Amino acid sequence: MSDVKQTPAESELAALLVDALNLEDVQAEEIDPQETLFGDGLGLDSIDALEIALAISQKYGVQMQAEDENVRNAFATLSSLSEFVEKHKTI
Amino acid sequence: MKAPLLDRNLNADIAWVTEPLVALGGRCGTVSTATFLAQVHSLAGKLPHGQHAINLCGNRYLFTLAFCAVIVRGQTNLLPPNRNVATQARLLERYPETFVLHDGSELLDGIDSLNVNNLSLFDCGEANEIPLIPLNHLAAIAFTSGSTGDSKPNLKSWLTFYESTKINKRYMYEECANTVYQLATVPGQHMWGLETSVLLPLFADICVLDCKPLFPADIQKKLQMISGEKLLVSTPVHLRALELSGLTFPTLNRILSATAPLSAEQAEKLEQCFNCQVREVYGCSEVGSMAYRRTAKAEPWTLFEGLDLNEEDQGTRATGNHLPESVLLQDFMNFSDERHFELAGRHADLIEIAGKRGSLQEINKVLLACDGVVDGVVFLPENSQQNVARLVALVVLNTASPDLNKDVLQTVFREHLDAAFVPRPIYIVDALPREENGKLTKAKILELYSQLSSM
Repeated sequence: MSDVKQTPAESELAALLVDALNLEDVQAEEIDPQETLFGDGLGLDSIDALEIALAISQKYGVQMQAEDENVRNAFATLSSLSEFVEKHKTI
Repeated sequence: MKAPLLDRNLNADIAWVTEPLVALGGRCGTVSTATFLAQVHSLAGKLPHGQHAINLCGNRYLFTLAFCAVIVRGQTNLLPPNRNVATQARLLERYPETFVLHDGSELLDGIDSLNVNNLSLFDCGEANEIPLIPLNHLAAIAFTSGSTGDSKPNLKSWLTFYESTKINKRYMYEECANTVYQLATVPGQHMWGLETSVLLPLFADICVLDCKPLFPADIQKKLQMISGEKLLVSTPVHLRALELSGLTFPTLNRILSATAPLSAEQAEKLEQCFNCQVREVYGCSEVGSMAYRRTAKAEPWTLFEGLDLNEEDQGTRATGNHLPESVLLQDFMNFSDERHFELAGRHADLIEIAGKRGSLQEINKVLLACDGVVDGVVFLPENSQQNVARLVALVVLNTASPDLNKDVLQTVFREHLDAAFVPRPIYIVDALPREENGKLTKAKILELYSQLSSM
């Protein structure tokens, strides 16, 4: 794998994604923070988005809302998602 | 022989536009049935020529307008399983004289199209003339989302829709003094969403919200907007997320769930969480909804009047006077009496993921057709924890094909399969645990899989 550098917050979130989505063949530490989560990158779909939102609400107390443009943008990459969670977490 | 496009009080509201729509002059709010009808007439006059309309509208109100206008114009709605450009290309190839109706989709190059949301439909006034539709008019072709690109067309005449909606109304809608507000988390293009959120409001005193919220907080917000009676149409995946979200929801009138099995435990939690009855509906794209049960009470399924089921060797045959032909269901049933049954399992080849049905055999064919794949199997692990199940692939690669790896396989799967069926994870193994006679048993596959996944 290429040189992937995750911040501690990104590593924690990556582990949560792998666990919530049963991505058994993906190593959390190998997820590139700048790689697209949906579409080509990890190839996730809307049901995965729902699973991610649920896991994030349970772990960080952040409720995702698709109506909120910030949330839609946050789902782009691990890095943007982590930034969003760190900014809004209550737990 | 003809039947009306809709049958309800024209002064009552049929839809609630929750976000400003350009086509409505940037307005939101409720839309009366008479206003809706005037807009249907107006849109019908503006549709492109052609026999088939691929209806891709994502906004439920615009979808319903387009759906009805196409029927009034004597054309046929094509309801694809997704918005992919490749899907549009396949439909165009199969159905000549096809155009696309959309509200902002990526489009196939060169295809005739109309963005419904770019029209001005807000100055149409009201109409009180209800169009009569020939019963034999082909109103829509719904596609059973097959595992590979080729989905199976299901022909829906106005007779089928008109009669099945009358049947559905009896079991899905509870007569109330006032209009019932419906929120649906499923798209209008899918049969479950079509029957409940598009057709039912044409024949029952239902006002349907135009949105399709996904996240629990979005669903909560929409439900809180409604002050009247509330009906939630959803799926076990969405409902589970609601229940686990920790949010509080208003009391509902009823929840309808379909597209995947709902457990009695889950249904009970939902009944407590929303303080209402949860009705699970059994159906398929070919027939539509067929039976319901109150899952929390571990009730058997009650077959809808107007439909009959008969056991056969290969499954169960569904018949109804409003269906163009009988349909062989790949489910087996145990009947306690003529109208009540329990599901007793399904044909082993059939899998269902995210409300889409696929054939394991077809998916395995895609894998084995890859150059450099020596052996392999795609299967659905039995107990894939609590969330949505995904397929798993175990693959043996030819060591002489160094270019073939997991990433390449994934690309091949994505090209050939609907996203819901792309195996995840893919494991590269040295050999499959075949018996001496070459047979591969499910037990051996699962054993190998459990070793791999615990590593």
